[in-house]
Amino acid sequence: MLKFLSHAMLPTVNHDEQSRQDFVSAFRSHLSSEVMPGVYKVFKSRVEPFFHAKNGRLPANEQEVRKAMTVDPFYQFWSAMQRRSQEMLWEAVIDPTERQLPDLIKQAISKENIGSKKTMRSKRIGTLQLDPTLNIPRYHTAVDIHLQPGGYHTDFTAHDVAAGAIYDKGINLYMGGALGPENNLMGDILIAYLREKYPKFKPNKILDMGCAIGNSTLIWGRAFNNAKVHGIDVGAPVLRYAHARAAALGVPIHFSQENAEHTNFALGSFDLIVSHIVLHETSRSALPRILGECHRLLRPGGLMLHLEIPRGKTLMEQFMHNWESFNNNETFARYMTHIDLQIEAIKGGFVKKFITVDEWFPDMDVGKMNYADNFFWKILAAERE
Amino acid sequence: MKNIHPEFAKGHKPQVFDDPALDQLHGAWLTLATELSVAFERIDTLERLLENRLSVTRSEIENFEPDAVASLQRTERRLDIAHRLLRPFREFREAKITHASRTNTNQEK
Repeated sequence: MLKFLSHAMLPTVNHDEQSRQDFVSAFRSHLSSEVMPGVYKVFKSRVEPFFHAKNGRLPANEQEVRKAMTVDPFYQFWSAMQRRSQEMLWEAVIDPTERQLPDLIKQAISKENIGSKKTMRSKRIGTLQLDPTLNIPRYHTAVDIHLQPGGYHTDFTAHDVAAGAIYDKGINLYMGGALGPENNLMGDILIAYLREKYPKFKPNKILDMGCAIGNSTLIWGRAFNNAKVHGIDVGAPVLRYAHARAAALGVPIHFSQENAEHTNFALGSFDLIVSHIVLHETSRSALPRILGECHRLLRPGGLMLHLEIPRGKTLMEQFMHNWESFNNNETFARYMTHIDLQIEAIKGGFVKKFITVDEWFPDMDVGKMNYADNFFWKILAAERE
Repeated sequence: MKNIHPEFAKGHKPQVFDDPALDQLHGAWLTLATELSVAFERIDTLERLLENRLSVTRSEIENFEPDAVASLQRTERRLDIAHRLLRPFREFREAKITHASRTNTNQEK
């Protein structure tokens, strides 16, 4: 596995902070390779037969699996470890971030380039537009997504960039480095999909929705270096970080603080709209509105591509995937199990024959995921009529 | 500037075990395991730096970069701690699976 790339906005770590992060990462890797498969074994060998003996049938839905599994001592043990390791992951990253925050903020301010879109400098390092009046949607404020304290949207100090720095290193640890040296995997996957399925499609204007720190946005900027690439998110601290990070890595991206349900861009502004495992962090009512906004923003013949995490084929896989919903503050994710993305896209205004919902096994090493042996990605693709 | 982030994430804290004290204990020993691993690595750093001489400075410790061999050895050590710590749970799981498959076989008879 390639080493995580250091850049100007990434907090450095001292000896013990490094060891702490390394242990959390090693422990999570041990949990997913050695302990998690045992949960499936326990289900097959004990929980399911016991359920059958008691009810004369197998569990009929995910809720019945949940009810039977959550009282199993081995599942309880794995769940407690998985949850605690997630909390510890943030703890291990927050300490070094807070220690260096004043310097990180200084770095970010030196790269800031608000509201001067036409300068040479903005062509080189992109732009950042924040909107302090934006209402942060409830799916961000109700709980801290993924247990990251303060979430993606909270400013704890003026010009705060901490949420971004914490997220950058945090997701590297979360995936045990599998996201690649620049947390580039999600962007790589969707670009590979575009090149395989739509080889002639050459976008000039690209929008990345829910871009957070712009780790995927930047990959699009590199892959299509003649295109104008925009990234939007509702969180100010992640966007400040995203802008400074993209500038540090030398890719011009235009970041703005907007809600993907109703952006400020004009009708038909984009050739291509993408998102990377974002939809399941929104809400039942937001989902069709976001897809409707994609429809409004795409020019005729334009394309949207949304990368999503599949939610399991068997009831047990569904239960395990949805562990995140009940234990890692992915509140909406479990509802995605039974949502038909094609129907949602039609609600958003797309025409049925132009919509594809794909299960895709990219020809690349995706690393080991936490909850299933055979991992694939789900992609919602639709062309604007 | 220290500790401006809340200590606990906002949202529901699931209770896994019947007794909440067990949830807390599991959380606490995992922290202890981490700190043990941190201490091991500090000792390892000291040993490597002191191998051929008599003194070492704090900045040498803080800036120590293990080479490829040392990195691998340290990764193995971390995984080894995880493996040793979880032995009781592994044993419990294996016992349950063995017991369950015996019971199932008996039922089938």
